[in-house]
Amino acid sequence: MMVHTETGALLHNDHVATIQALQSLEGFLVRQSSKRPADTTEAGVRKTLQGLIDMVANEVGRHFGFEEQHLFPLLAERGEAGIGDFLMHEHATILPLANEVAEAARVALEENFDATTWRRFHAIGLELVEREIFHIQKEEMGLLAAISMLVDAAADKKLAATYKALQEA
Amino acid sequence: MFGDFMMGARSRLLPASVPFRFFATAVVLHAAAWATLLWAGDAVPGFIGGGGPALAALHLITLGVLAMVAMGAAYQLLPVATKRPVRSVTACKVSHGLMAPGVVLLSFGFATMQTWALHGGMALTVLGIGVFAVLIADNLRRVTDLPLVTGHAWLAVVALAAVLVLGALLATDFGAGFLTDRPSLAAAHAVAGGFGFMGMLAVGFSYVLVPMFALAQLPRKPYGLWAMWLSAAALASGFAGALSGVAVLDGLGIAVGLVAAGLYLEMMRLTLKSRMRRGLGLSFVLVRAAWVGLPLSLVAAAVVATGWRLDITAPLFGFLLIYGWLLTFLMGVLQRIMPFLASMHSFRPGGKPALVSALTADLPLKIHAACHFAALLLVAAGIVSEIGWLVRLGALAGLIGALSFAAFAFSLRQRLIAHLLSFPPVSATELRSP
Repeated sequence: MMVHTETGALLHNDHVATIQALQSLEGFLVRQSSKRPADTTEAGVRKTLQGLIDMVANEVGRHFGFEEQHLFPLLAERGEAGIGDFLMHEHATILPLANEVAEAARVALEENFDATTWRRFHAIGLELVEREIFHIQKEEMGLLAAISMLVDAAADKKLAATYKALQEA
Repeated sequence: MFGDFMMGARSRLLPASVPFRFFATAVVLHAAAWATLLWAGDAVPGFIGGGGPALAALHLITLGVLAMVAMGAAYQLLPVATKRPVRSVTACKVSHGLMAPGVVLLSFGFATMQTWALHGGMALTVLGIGVFAVLIADNLRRVTDLPLVTGHAWLAVVALAAVLVLGALLATDFGAGFLTDRPSLAAAHAVAGGFGFMGMLAVGFSYVLVPMFALAQLPRKPYGLWAMWLSAAALASGFAGALSGVAVLDGLGIAVGLVAAGLYLEMMRLTLKSRMRRGLGLSFVLVRAAWVGLPLSLVAAAVVATGWRLDITAPLFGFLLIYGWLLTFLMGVLQRIMPFLASMHSFRPGGKPALVSALTADLPLKIHAACHFAALLLVAAGIVSEIGWLVRLGALAGLIGALSFAAFAFSLRQRLIAHLLSFPPVSATELRSP
């Protein structure tokens, strides 16, 4: 898992940030357990949930969007459509789950959790952690290598500029 | 790597039935190996060669578990890592079809000293591993990149050739008695098999599997390549020393091997230091313990080379090498690979792939780990103190652990089938294939 391109490095940085956020979420959920609803009046809990909402909006949403709209079509043009198809299928599983988790967090920040909403949040939160980390594993081991192999320096520069523009938007 | 697995590399994605038939056989023979060691018990302290259940137990582990897992994993991982498909899926299945009955027959032959079983089992096993060696060499021949993985795999293939030749000679000698220096050949066979074939595969695959599971980057250091070349030198020297009885060559091989092991372990330490995934789980407890076993086995080899108390040091060295380093490492990796691959194969259009956590039964794995470590300590203590019942007690713990591991594997199969059955269009044939 070596990062040889600017685009790969940008995606890798996203992965690092996402994994840190997911592991914080995982630790929070495991410590809290499914039986003890978190109290969103506590500052630490609010910070964790807000971090989660931001991660889904920024890292996950923007990252998936860039890959689907810019990166995968380029890889397909260069004869490697399979990885895009496969990863897009995973995106289709993860994104609705991530949005559901973020929406549950948003509602909880306003209305707090009760036993039922917490149990659901706990379950889908842990599922999101596992699916997204498994997904990142595949991107780190496969997608970054595919970019190194198939994307030349000029295309890499253009892709990286596009992604930076999305990050700054 | 597993991005490749699913991409245009569908030709490199073997049917689940290929790796899993090797893993399932290994799981069964793992239990058989500990049961045979339980039977051998009293013969293990002081064992420095010859037939009987102790030799059968040893080969059930080396061929039945270590080689079997290595073959299944290599068929699946090497084409993915090298981005070149395996030449023939049928040949992979043939190698298993020869190897599985071959190992059982060979072990039966060793245990009972029945020459027909020994020779028949040896022939089937050599043919099975031979097919594997040809397929892997063919795959490696077409690769110029990935020097850490392919370089170690090449060393393993070369060592395997020596293992097969010497193994065939040693097995044929039972009942014929034509070898004049059987102990030297047996020692060279052990070096080539333990440190060479299995050791090099374990080290080579570490450079793929550890970064993948830990979400880490291999450090940009040359230590891995240095370790590979030093390993080659150490193996050549150790092999020649064992074969010729020249102690200087033994000592040189062990000293260079220790440096190579140190460099490899440093690469692994730096890799884990850079990891993104914090909790690595129970499998890495086994892997880390195995990494302690690697240098320990070399230190034990050094003591054996001095000739001091061979009745204790020789079996202890063999136990540390095969059970302490290689088996512990393989079981750690296997419990991670099996649900990982099962999850990769659980994808069906219109549905979510099964979660690795949903496929993994944790309790049997915890029992296995506890029993495995207890077995290592008790058997080693039995060998050192020359107390047979301690070995038996350790083997019993190992057997309970192996049965627990089998429960984990069976549960994995059931959970995968239940997941696949939740998608209406799946055919019965496809379900049965793993």
